[in-house]
Amino acid sequence: MAGVPRTSAVERATDGRLSKVMTLDSALAGIGADTLIAVGGLWYHNRPAAAIRALLRGGVSGLRLLTSPPSSFDTDLLIGAGAVRTLYTAHVSFEHLGLAPRFRRAAERAELEIIECDEATVLGGLMATLEGLPDHPVPSLVATDLLRTSTQVRTGTDGPRAPALRPDVAVLHAQEADRFGNVRHLGAAFCDPVFAKASARVVVTVDRLVGNDVVRAEPWRTTIPGYLVDAVVPLPYGAHPCSSHGLYCHDEEHLRHYLAAAGAPDGDGGDAFARYLREFVHLDHATYLDRIGGTARLDALDEEVA
Amino acid sequence: MSYSDRELMAVLLARQLRNGEIGMMGASSEIPVAAALLAQCLHAPDLTVIMPSGAVNPRPGRLYRSSSDGRWFTGCEAIGTAYDLFELSENGRLDFMCYGGVQLDRFGNINLTRTGPFGEPPRFRGPGLANISMAVTAKRTLLFSTAHSPRTFVERVDYVTAPGHLSGGTQRRRAGIATAGPQVCITPLAVFGFPEPEHAMTVSSLNPGIEPGRVLDATGFALPPPPWPATEPPTGEELGALRAVVDRTGVLRS
Repeated sequence: MAGVPRTSAVERATDGRLSKVMTLDSALAGIGADTLIAVGGLWYHNRPAAAIRALLRGGVSGLRLLTSPPSSFDTDLLIGAGAVRTLYTAHVSFEHLGLAPRFRRAAERAELEIIECDEATVLGGLMATLEGLPDHPVPSLVATDLLRTSTQVRTGTDGPRAPALRPDVAVLHAQEADRFGNVRHLGAAFCDPVFAKASARVVVTVDRLVGNDVVRAEPWRTTIPGYLVDAVVPLPYGAHPCSSHGLYCHDEEHLRHYLAAAGAPDGDGGDAFARYLREFVHLDHATYLDRIGGTARLDALDEEVA
Repeated sequence: MSYSDRELMAVLLARQLRNGEIGMMGASSEIPVAAALLAQCLHAPDLTVIMPSGAVNPRPGRLYRSSSDGRWFTGCEAIGTAYDLFELSENGRLDFMCYGGVQLDRFGNINLTRTGPFGEPPRFRGPGLANISMAVTAKRTLLFSTAHSPRTFVERVDYVTAPGHLSGGTQRRRAGIATAGPQVCITPLAVFGFPEPEHAMTVSSLNPGIEPGRVLDATGFALPPPPWPATEPPTGEELGALRAVVDRTGVLRS
């Protein structure tokens, strides 16, 4: 992992510019009850997991959570910790590792307001915001029961439409950015660029900072330009236990440990989830990285994970 | 040559895919992904395979279990975003989409959302589906399920997450959907079709070594009775390519 880069000639030439690098706590300040927060990535890949843990350490609750169309670990963790009031989602699972236990439990106990979505109604809602429109047509949502149960799709005279979605904040994880907020994904950018355009505030955690000269050398690799970004937080391995495309794999052993803890029944086993929160959420990032086996182990995950 | 249920399903699904088509993969899609990559190296070199992460025509030489694993990108031809997937769907660019389900019914409707009556908390909350729109916009849909039981194969889904033939006959067309909908459903036991005019599931062929009674017992709705034709077993060429090119680490065998 590169640290803060050495000052190059180009860096010196840009010294008058405002750096967007900040601590996680300052970047996440103000996120709380009723905030509509969009979380980037997809399934358990490119997730801002360390940022989600920081929100939980800060005691966040009452969130309105808009997940990337397919989501996973951090959605389940936020729900399990009681931080979510309303969930806008198309999909929550751990793919071949299993269903999302805390999402499932909260839904089956009616402890959570769920606004059923599809990729089309999330994208349509975000695109309506980009276009300055109240909603966006999604004719492809015809004949699904979402029309009966979801507020994220309305039937108009000309067919189904997705109402505009304007998140208060998008929290994303990418592999690289410079200190001016120019972001580079080394794999799937997926929904992140649209989240960045539609959200009032944009926070990006990155595994490493790169110099502005590195960005300028290959500008076609920038996936989100700096003018869309409010905060850059350098956080090596900040997606763990999720993957960061191109840098490290998802940690299946840890995800299985999480699933066992989150899926434990109430009663005697009910402390398993509380214990998970104590052991893996309520601690600083450096201690966390030691606890999950150290960074050498994370660098070797692509030999371990099928 | 012996083979696993999942290898069989990948081979049978590959036979459904045609040269020149564009197909989109979903979550937990080891079987469709293997089928598409296998079809590319057998009869469909111009098939375009799009992963849910946006990777176009990956060629990893092995099957990564997560469909959005970052390693699918190495050597792929392009990387689309969620917006590109929206475009693919809404512009009707997809030839096929493959779906599994918590419940699949007689008419090929798909439930991945919930079981139990409306207006009550779900009896079972499913994962949901991020690719609903493609069940309407893709020219045809192909269903598959590794779990063939009366709990999965039901008379009527409790919740239509994605529409198949709705209540059969012309209902899909009457709902304003111009695409063909479910054409096939592949399980470890049999290959099903949805013949005109009723569009209800019938057995197209019985998989090798399976007794007809097992299919009838495992299906939660009535099927036209046997005898049924036999599924052509995987050939040496199909299994050879599957193991040597697509699934070198044997994910489908384990």
